[in-house]
Amino acid sequence: MDYIDPHIHMVSRTTDDYETLARMGCVAMSEPAFWAGFDRGSVESFRDYFRQLTEFEPKRAAQFGIKHYTWLCINAKEAENVSLSREVIAMIPEFLDASNVLGIGEIGLNKNTKNESTIFLEHVDLAARFNQQILIHTPHLEDKYQGTKMILDMLVSDARIERSRVLVDHVEEHTIQEVLDRGFWAGMTLYPITKCTPARAADMIERFGTERLMANSAGDWGPSKPTAIPDLIMELKRRGHSRELIRKVVYENPCEFFSQSKNFKAPLAPS
Amino acid sequence: MSQDPKPPARSAEKVLSEEFFIARSKILDLAATLDRLERADGSLEALHQLKLLEQGMEILLDDQSDKAKRVQLLMSRPYDPDWRKNYGLH
Repeated sequence: MDYIDPHIHMVSRTTDDYETLARMGCVAMSEPAFWAGFDRGSVESFRDYFRQLTEFEPKRAAQFGIKHYTWLCINAKEAENVSLSREVIAMIPEFLDASNVLGIGEIGLNKNTKNESTIFLEHVDLAARFNQQILIHTPHLEDKYQGTKMILDMLVSDARIERSRVLVDHVEEHTIQEVLDRGFWAGMTLYPITKCTPARAADMIERFGTERLMANSAGDWGPSKPTAIPDLIMELKRRGHSRELIRKVVYENPCEFFSQSKNFKAPLAPS
Repeated sequence: MSQDPKPPARSAEKVLSEEFFIARSKILDLAATLDRLERADGSLEALHQLKLLEQGMEILLDDQSDKAKRVQLLMSRPYDPDWRKNYGLH
């Protein structure tokens, strides 16, 4: 089945992975900027990274017929360096006119600190000033519940932010309802150990419906599986869900959300 | 875009028959982990993580619903609605 992975870190993956994803039905993907596994040392390092996201990765993806989109930010893990974060935020507008940029992301919290919150608010302001969509990272494990609620508090306190243009990723059983009830989009990340399995994602689809809900692999440099969305498709098929329902979650919903960005074009003709 | 399609209804018998061996395997993994802990040197009484696992297992065995959400909340740091004031962020 054709699908879109709305959150995958392809700079960490091999060209073979692009080929495998294409063979499994991936027709488009979006890649939020994130942490490299170590803290970058200067704004120039981020400039090079954003060039990789806006120039190199789209070409690598195109070799396999996959459309590559991206989101720009400095990750919450690096927000403790407030001065560097501000330099990066000031530089991001240089890239906002690149043809594959969908918005600002993945911004969020990691350990829910004051500095992370400060830099999150400044990213939200950047998105509002430049009319950009937002992709949100919510924290892991014991920090997720607290951090997700803090993020939602900050988003709803800014009247300029349209909730329908914000995707809150890495939702799990204890955070999904509030995200959807408050009018945001929600993303379930299929990630071994620390996030959500395909079976639990299927449970959440059954409980909460398919409106404003999507799934992603967040495939990156850590233990992760870039082909996790086909695993979810298999799980939903196994449970007897219709092709229509599955397609809505893995293709139509990402299209509907991303279409709010001027740069996004649906990769397939309407069915 | 299409309307929200409804999921198929699966009977409890069907869910149980399809999920039984998966659940059995996970219970065995958990049991073996507890056996491993018991064989290891040192006292476990003060370990916060072990207490969380025990409280999580109690949730599995009680008669209330929403078990996955309740286990998640058990393993979560609390939320303070006044966090923004405490951080001096307005």
